[in-house]
Amino acid sequence: MLFNSIDFAIFLPIVFILYWFAANRNLKLQNLLIVIASYVFYGWWDWRFLSLIVFSTLVDYAVGLKLKTAENKTHRKALLWTSISINLGLLGFFKYFNFFVDNFTAAFSLFGTEIKTNSLDIILPVGISFYTFQTLSYTIDVYRRKLEPTKDIIAFAAFVSFFPQLVAGPIERATNLLPQFYKKRPFNYAKAADGMRQILWGLFKKIVIADNCAHYANLIFNNSADYAGSTLVLGALFFTFQIYGDFSGYSDIAIGTARLFGFELMRNFNFPYFSRNIAEFWRRWHISLSTWFRDYLYIPLGGGRGGTLQKVRNVFIIFIVSGLWHGANWTFIAWGTLNACFFLPLLLTNNNRSNLDTVAKGKTFPSVREVASMFLTFGLTVFGWIFFRANNIEHATSYISEILSPSTFTTPEFEGMGRALSTILLVILFVALEWRGRERQYAIADIGSAWYRPVRWSFYALIVFSIGMYMPSVESPFIYFQF
Amino acid sequence: MRKFAINIFSFTLFAMVFYIIALFLWGSFAPNVLKPNINYRIGSWGHMHSRIANIKNYHNVDILFLGSSHAYRGFDTRIFSDSGYRTFNLGSSAQTPIQTKVLLDRYLNALNPKMVIYEVYPYTLSIDGVESSLDIISNDKNDIHSLKMALKINNIKTYNTFLYGLMCDFIGLNKTYTEPISKGTDRYIAGGFVERKMRHYIPTQLKKKEITLNQIQIKNLAEIVNMLKERNIELMLTYAPLPKANYYRYTNNNYFDSLMGTYATYINFNKIMNLDDSLYFFDADHLNQNGVKKFNAKLIELLKNVPNKNK
Repeated sequence: MLFNSIDFAIFLPIVFILYWFAANRNLKLQNLLIVIASYVFYGWWDWRFLSLIVFSTLVDYAVGLKLKTAENKTHRKALLWTSISINLGLLGFFKYFNFFVDNFTAAFSLFGTEIKTNSLDIILPVGISFYTFQTLSYTIDVYRRKLEPTKDIIAFAAFVSFFPQLVAGPIERATNLLPQFYKKRPFNYAKAADGMRQILWGLFKKIVIADNCAHYANLIFNNSADYAGSTLVLGALFFTFQIYGDFSGYSDIAIGTARLFGFELMRNFNFPYFSRNIAEFWRRWHISLSTWFRDYLYIPLGGGRGGTLQKVRNVFIIFIVSGLWHGANWTFIAWGTLNACFFLPLLLTNNNRSNLDTVAKGKTFPSVREVASMFLTFGLTVFGWIFFRANNIEHATSYISEILSPSTFTTPEFEGMGRALSTILLVILFVALEWRGRERQYAIADIGSAWYRPVRWSFYALIVFSIGMYMPSVESPFIYFQF
Repeated sequence: MRKFAINIFSFTLFAMVFYIIALFLWGSFAPNVLKPNINYRIGSWGHMHSRIANIKNYHNVDILFLGSSHAYRGFDTRIFSDSGYRTFNLGSSAQTPIQTKVLLDRYLNALNPKMVIYEVYPYTLSIDGVESSLDIISNDKNDIHSLKMALKINNIKTYNTFLYGLMCDFIGLNKTYTEPISKGTDRYIAGGFVERKMRHYIPTQLKKKEITLNQIQIKNLAEIVNMLKERNIELMLTYAPLPKANYYRYTNNNYFDSLMGTYATYINFNKIMNLDDSLYFFDADHLNQNGVKKFNAKLIELLKNVPNKNK
């Protein structure tokens, strides 16, 4: 079920009413309703893959309980590795099996040995990378004794499958989300109203910004050989706003929906395109994944400690794994490697922890220096997105070659250029609103809070109107569903 | 919770009113490039507005023509009149069965035809019908049938244009509009035909494609067939002549022919006529007036050969 579908528009109020009116007196009943609703939400796409979620839930629940009683270090390690192997094994099979088989075969053929292998026709279950990492965080935290294992199977199943963030995050830590299933969640008007506002803003980002940019990004990337460098630059910019609007829009809807049910999810985006260097960008982009890798991979590897060589190794590992997490394609690995290269100079010069605050905090406009650093960081990010979006490495390199040619200094031209004008204007308006609200949880969090109600409602209704006026005819799935 | 429920309900009402007012203002004053989801084109190409205005003069016709521009540019009511048939041409741009159904619901009783000749074409049976619905919404009255059509198509552009059209009807903005008889190289002929100034097509190679029929359109076609059957109105499905370059681009014409044959009497004129692309067409889709004469003569010949038919 897509957030931007009629199905969800019907599903959400039904669950909301049942949750607050039929199940509100009993916490267990509320949790059970969440599990059922989440399974319906997921099964709407393909009910067969529900078995994977249930299996993953049962494995980690059982491992958690066993870890509670296991004192022996070897035994505890064995339990941890059982969970890791099963979860990553499923993820590896569904997501990477064909990739590794194909590359294995290609590698052998380089040495003149032909191996006959068969790629399998594997369907990638939606959101598998997200809920796998979420459930792994539980087992690892229990193993590290940071979290008491739960005996409440319903609460645990609700934690693993919580429908607002099940298929595209934020990837919640068990330490944050699981305890919320144990406590009574009274209805909070301010929280619910804020949740609705965040959902509205998320829908605007997805439907108006991302889906309109997607049309032109797809047109240009899919026919890149026909276009001049200047058009390709525009294509990369369209994709830059598509992926941000799409993914951060999803996160806003997820966080807002969770708030309607009394839950607080972690923040996933913090205005990343206003970053002043790549390290800051990675603190602001897909925060739940970056911090997951930091806590469960980077720090165990030694993090920023140790010799230069070890630091460099760790940075490359973390970025390459992060790239590979996005998909079984060399383009994602190249994108990860590229970002490691952008990040490394900051680490080696001890500048990776600079710019921890918000740019131009408390001011309307940034300084010239801040503008320059934001533009440079944004440029590097856009460059990286070319690899992320390209079909393969050759596509990315030919795309970049054309951008580096003199044709970049011509006027951009593509089919429907005139119609793209409205999309460009919307993106400019969007960036202005994002800049204005960059110190808030989301851009429109405080807009209108002091306004007379009809004026404030007019502002929200204007957002609704712009969705109706600029939504593309066909609803598009969220990009991150495929990861 | 009570406060939340009241506010959500109030805001929904407020947003609906706001949306309608904003839609009307934006639709009336914003440049086209800034309103991609409103496409209200009164007096658009195809003379639909004139056709609808003209319809009140026709009752109890012998033949009612329906279909896409192949119909309103292909069935010349004057030629049929010369042969003694009283006809009306209710074709519209890219008309799909969803729109045909709306037009029949509205006008079948008044026109009361003895026979319907429905031009079918793989393209119009494969599309969603959004663009063609806008033509009807803009140029005809908007009523419960338009709403049903919008719900069937379920597209934001159709909904917005329908709402905008309703407001225009309500305020009476279109009452004074009169569509010119001649527009560019097109001239409207009483009875629904549109004549294009004589031109010749220069054939070009078109990319081959296989048509995947839209099941909603097929369902509506079946409903039209049943509707006419219930009223004992004879139905003939026709595949109007196309330039060969265009006709043969569809790789599954045989499948299309066999499917259409299951609904009613069906004639594919591309199989029984051999019209030269550059002599009898003015573009890749439409017959020029010489082609129309040939096509209509052939159709009349076929109608006359069928005993006791509809004259």
